[in-house]
Amino acid sequence: MLQKIKHIYETKYKLLMIIPLLLLVLSLVQLGVQYATTGDFVNKGISLKGGSTITITKDLSISSDELEGSLQQEFPTAEVSVRTLSSAGKNTGTAIDSGLQDKAEIDTFVAAVSERFALQKADYSVEVVGSSLGKNFFRQMLIALVFSFLLMGIMVILYFRIFITSLMVILAAFCDIVITLAIFNLTGMKLHPAGIAALLMMIGYSVDGEVIISSRLIKRKDGTELERIYGALRTGWTMTQTTLVAVLVALIFVQSEVVKQIMLILLIGLLVDIIVTWIQNVGILRWHLEKKHKSSGQ
Amino acid sequence: MGNKITKIFLNWRVLLLVTLLFFSILAIRPNIFGTEGVEINSMLANSSVAEAGLSNPASKVLPTARERILSVNGEETNTVEEYYAVVSQLQANRTIRLETNEKAYTFLAPQSSNGKVDLGIKVKEASFSNLRMGLDLEGGTRVLLQPVGGISEEDLETTVDSLKERLNVYGLRDIVVRSASDLSGNDFILIEIAGVTEDEIQELLAKQGKFEAKVGNETVFFGGKKDITYVCRSADCSGIDPYLGCQQFDAGYHCRFAFQISLSPEAAQHHALITKNLKTISEQGSCYLAEDLALYLDDVEVDRLRIGCELKGSTTTDIQISGSGAGIAQADAVNDALKNMKKLQTVLLTGSLPVKLEVAKLDTISPNLGKEFLQNVMLVGVLALVAVSGVVLYRYRKVVIIFPMLLVMLSELVLILGFAALAKWNLDLASIAGLIVVVGTGMNHFIVITDETLRKEAEALDWKTRIKNALFIIMGAYVINLGSLIPLFWAGAGLLKGFALTTIVGMSVGVLIARPAYAAIVRILLEE
Repeated sequence: MLQKIKHIYETKYKLLMIIPLLLLVLSLVQLGVQYATTGDFVNKGISLKGGSTITITKDLSISSDELEGSLQQEFPTAEVSVRTLSSAGKNTGTAIDSGLQDKAEIDTFVAAVSERFALQKADYSVEVVGSSLGKNFFRQMLIALVFSFLLMGIMVILYFRIFITSLMVILAAFCDIVITLAIFNLTGMKLHPAGIAALLMMIGYSVDGEVIISSRLIKRKDGTELERIYGALRTGWTMTQTTLVAVLVALIFVQSEVVKQIMLILLIGLLVDIIVTWIQNVGILRWHLEKKHKSSGQ
Repeated sequence: MGNKITKIFLNWRVLLLVTLLFFSILAIRPNIFGTEGVEINSMLANSSVAEAGLSNPASKVLPTARERILSVNGEETNTVEEYYAVVSQLQANRTIRLETNEKAYTFLAPQSSNGKVDLGIKVKEASFSNLRMGLDLEGGTRVLLQPVGGISEEDLETTVDSLKERLNVYGLRDIVVRSASDLSGNDFILIEIAGVTEDEIQELLAKQGKFEAKVGNETVFFGGKKDITYVCRSADCSGIDPYLGCQQFDAGYHCRFAFQISLSPEAAQHHALITKNLKTISEQGSCYLAEDLALYLDDVEVDRLRIGCELKGSTTTDIQISGSGAGIAQADAVNDALKNMKKLQTVLLTGSLPVKLEVAKLDTISPNLGKEFLQNVMLVGVLALVAVSGVVLYRYRKVVIIFPMLLVMLSELVLILGFAALAKWNLDLASIAGLIVVVGTGMNHFIVITDETLRKEAEALDWKTRIKNALFIIMGAYVINLGSLIPLFWAGAGLLKGFALTTIVGMSVGVLIARPAYAAIVRILLEE
């Protein structure tokens, strides 16, 4: 079986590139459908949409559904939703999201909640984001991403002095982000600004893989092309493994919702990046080398 | 082996790493054995202990060098709870001896409005190192204010200064007030206050604080230093009005406050001019001017005062300002009145902001949550390290590589923290995310170095080429990452700046110092 997969990987690399392409197309469809139905590419959390979140670390001895129901009754216009926070399978607190942005309204809301559960000031945290900032923040992050891509492209050209690697790194970063976002959307979770930072962190990790294959395949001349690919794959796989275990450990044990989201996005991204780097990028580079050999042979 | 270890420590790359590590630990100065006493977090400027010579800690002072209260009246105060328990036992108008790690202060216990002794000092657990914990780890308030309409650079600076001054009136330490802008050119003001913050402070920040005292339609004076030369905040000329005090109403209590201010000669002259031609009226045997002095805060009338006939046309500079507060119980009404008084005093002292501000984002993070978060992150860090070591050990099966790999990785972390302590960074959630990236890419690069030197294909190459090959990959990944991080400095009103900064500094330290040192160690250990 393994030999068969190896054989396909070695000989049918152009055909295999359909897999990442298909994933990209499906992801773009998902994002498109998401946009058409909700008006946004992603499920934006409070920090990106505007609203407020109260995070309570005390045990409230009430189910989140029950609490949500009663708060919705008490504050019908506040768009309340309640989440239970957990770490390593244990409940660690409760987060109450609402669409409230006005200081006076939030104060009344917080007062009602803290009175009901006899909360002290130290028992809860409040985050309030105005809708204009939220909207702006998201747009800004998109602009920042475009600039990031451009700068990355320039750096790759300056470093490798080969156009195809620059194109490959940018394409890989684009695919990583789009596919990860689409899968993230399917989880139903809401995106926090830290999640966007996680997308950038993911690019940071994936760049390592890209640079390894580029330098081993294009710059080196030791061994055969396939030997170099397998060498790079071995190094890349070790890197992915170490990051994966660290991310999994964090995902299971970390309490902070924000860090948890960072880890989830990194996890999805790392898995996506395996396909993007080792099928798509290796494919593009081999294709490029093949063409180069042909033209130099002629 | 002994020969190899000597060789390692004589290698200039390793020596550089060790030297910087030494300086980093020096900068962090961890107190492994704990510290005596509680740290002074903030102090009211006009409290009796301030008069005794204790000063508000300056934010520039290193956390481990801050003044700590060791005992109050001989009773040791090693925890925050112990301190507040001792203070709650104090009696008013008795002598108090407060001993700190610097000196001893003796003063008379002041009496606050609710009958209890309040020294006006807020304390926190003593810092265990020079690392400054940001809001996400220590708790506090983060407010992002956005000016309504456009704002000039000059006005933005004035606003930042006025806001700083307002916060100083409240005796707050560890405040960050800075302007920030985003990619679309919008201006913001970011304020971060460590520790639990009272609601009234948050409210005060977004207030423009335009204070006007009007007679009829004419403004007699404005808030701020131009018109007001002095605002009394001590107990002898400010507080609950001794003549009117508190009164009971149907729904609760109503208390009046009053405090003295001094007008500038110009403002007093203006007052004389306006009141000169006013008619006088007589009410219940007292003579008043026909128009009242109405006090407006942000265009809303907050109080209306009668003007005695003796002030007609006079260039008096001493004026009493008053207002009120309400509450269900009398104590609530007193607190509300004193709170309103303080707000009014603050805007009179600091003047109005040049623009109206809107709260764009407000976070209050509970200190408990912060503490738990820090402990949890440390635990997760250790677990992740164990898991990663397991994977690396399984892959290479050479302890001789794992050991230096983990040591150099930890030293990278110490170098970043040392830099953070030196640069007086506040470590927050964004910086922790940055640390995760640095450690993650660091691990990747150690693997690259190890693989480049150990792989079969490289056997034909000399060690210099192998290391050069590895560093080529690492350097490439570094410059490309640098490109992706730079735009984050400006995106989203600087909220991701901490992330970008930590990642860039961390990666630079790693790529330029720690990872080459690891490469040198691997070479010495494995070279036959």
